[in-house]
Amino acid sequence: MFRFLRLIPLVLVMTFSVIVSAGPLGIGSVATPEMIAGWDIDVRPDGTGLPDGVGSVAEGEGLYEAKCASCHGLFGEGEGRWPVLAGGEGTLDTLHPEKTVGSYWPYASTLWDYIHRAMPYTAPQSLTDDETYSISAYVLYLNDIVDDEFVANRETFARVKMPNEENFYVDNRPDSKNERCFENCADPKAFEIVTTINGLTPTGHFKEDSGVAANHYDGNPSAASESGISKVKNDTKIVLSDKANLGKGVYDMACQACHNPGIAGAPKTGDKAAWVSRIDQGMDVLNGHAINGYQGADGVMPAKGGNMSLSNDDVINAVAFMVELSR
Amino acid sequence: MSSIRIKAKERNGSVDVKTLMKHKMETGLRKGKDGKKIPEHWITDVTAESGGKVVFAAAFNTSISKDPYLAFKFAGKKGDMVKISWKDSQGKTDSAETKVK
Repeated sequence: MFRFLRLIPLVLVMTFSVIVSAGPLGIGSVATPEMIAGWDIDVRPDGTGLPDGVGSVAEGEGLYEAKCASCHGLFGEGEGRWPVLAGGEGTLDTLHPEKTVGSYWPYASTLWDYIHRAMPYTAPQSLTDDETYSISAYVLYLNDIVDDEFVANRETFARVKMPNEENFYVDNRPDSKNERCFENCADPKAFEIVTTINGLTPTGHFKEDSGVAANHYDGNPSAASESGISKVKNDTKIVLSDKANLGKGVYDMACQACHNPGIAGAPKTGDKAAWVSRIDQGMDVLNGHAINGYQGADGVMPAKGGNMSLSNDDVINAVAFMVELSR
Repeated sequence: MSSIRIKAKERNGSVDVKTLMKHKMETGLRKGKDGKKIPEHWITDVTAESGGKVVFAAAFNTSISKDPYLAFKFAGKKGDMVKISWKDSQGKTDSAETKVK
């Protein structure tokens, strides 16, 4: 009780100093409304926080294909392991639920907020408000939530109803408090143990002579030998230079998302026909395009594949890796 | 809204068509929660036409995934119309048309 009383003046002082901000100690300055607005970018389900602006499905189509489709797929089906944006309706209660904007998200406002904050992946917060409206509208269109004439602005966007909204509800079960018992407590000896967590981890194969095969080969006994064969094949086919070997890691991290499937106009690694005209331009040109970015007739090569943390040498090694596999 | 979405783009006299058909492609082999088999329902034929001519045709079967995605090329030019249609095992059909960009 005594300690509690002593805390009261401290709390009062703290409250007071927050109110007058740069008060008695003269530290800091009052945040201006503009400063607060810079941080206050969230958008709520009722549309609070949506800025002025307008964007249509038609405009969104072009923007989506240029900035989003390389990962999310032309129809929102998701390239490789990138997030799927459309489809999956009615799968939430199945063994393989597909959580997409249309099948899962409760509010359209999240779409605007998320795209505005974090997309495109390689250049977050580079979209204007109008572009964000357009792309949001197009993603809703891909999910058949709006029709192709939909024009999004503050009013129309806030009115969009998501199909799965009803399945989200406030969980009003009371908090359960795990209070420690001090008197008249139950006697632990009287507890009857019904079950324990045991035998979940198979341990048979750890014991010598147990006769139990190691689990990871179960049902797939050829897994080990198969990978061995393909490795040998690769080695005999193409011998990579040291530079290219160094570039493989970089390629896996930064390049393969587009150059493996050959999306967004990227020449597929190993596709000799696609590479021959490019290799003819010389390695300096290729390296320059890869490092500084390049807009060609086929599509865009973002500078350093969009990963600016790579050094120029990393990129040059990765280019060497792709070229050596593709000639 | 049509169950088919199409993107068609021309380059060097060749039209690159990408299409996604929304269809559950039920094989008829899966069991539902009630333990009964879910009746089969899958696309059997896909046809693409341009200028009154069939430019692409495919016979699907149960090994094709749900919401099939299909990409193909044909000789054509900007402004052509491409019409894609499917027929499924329950006799239902759908089609959609788009202009080559």
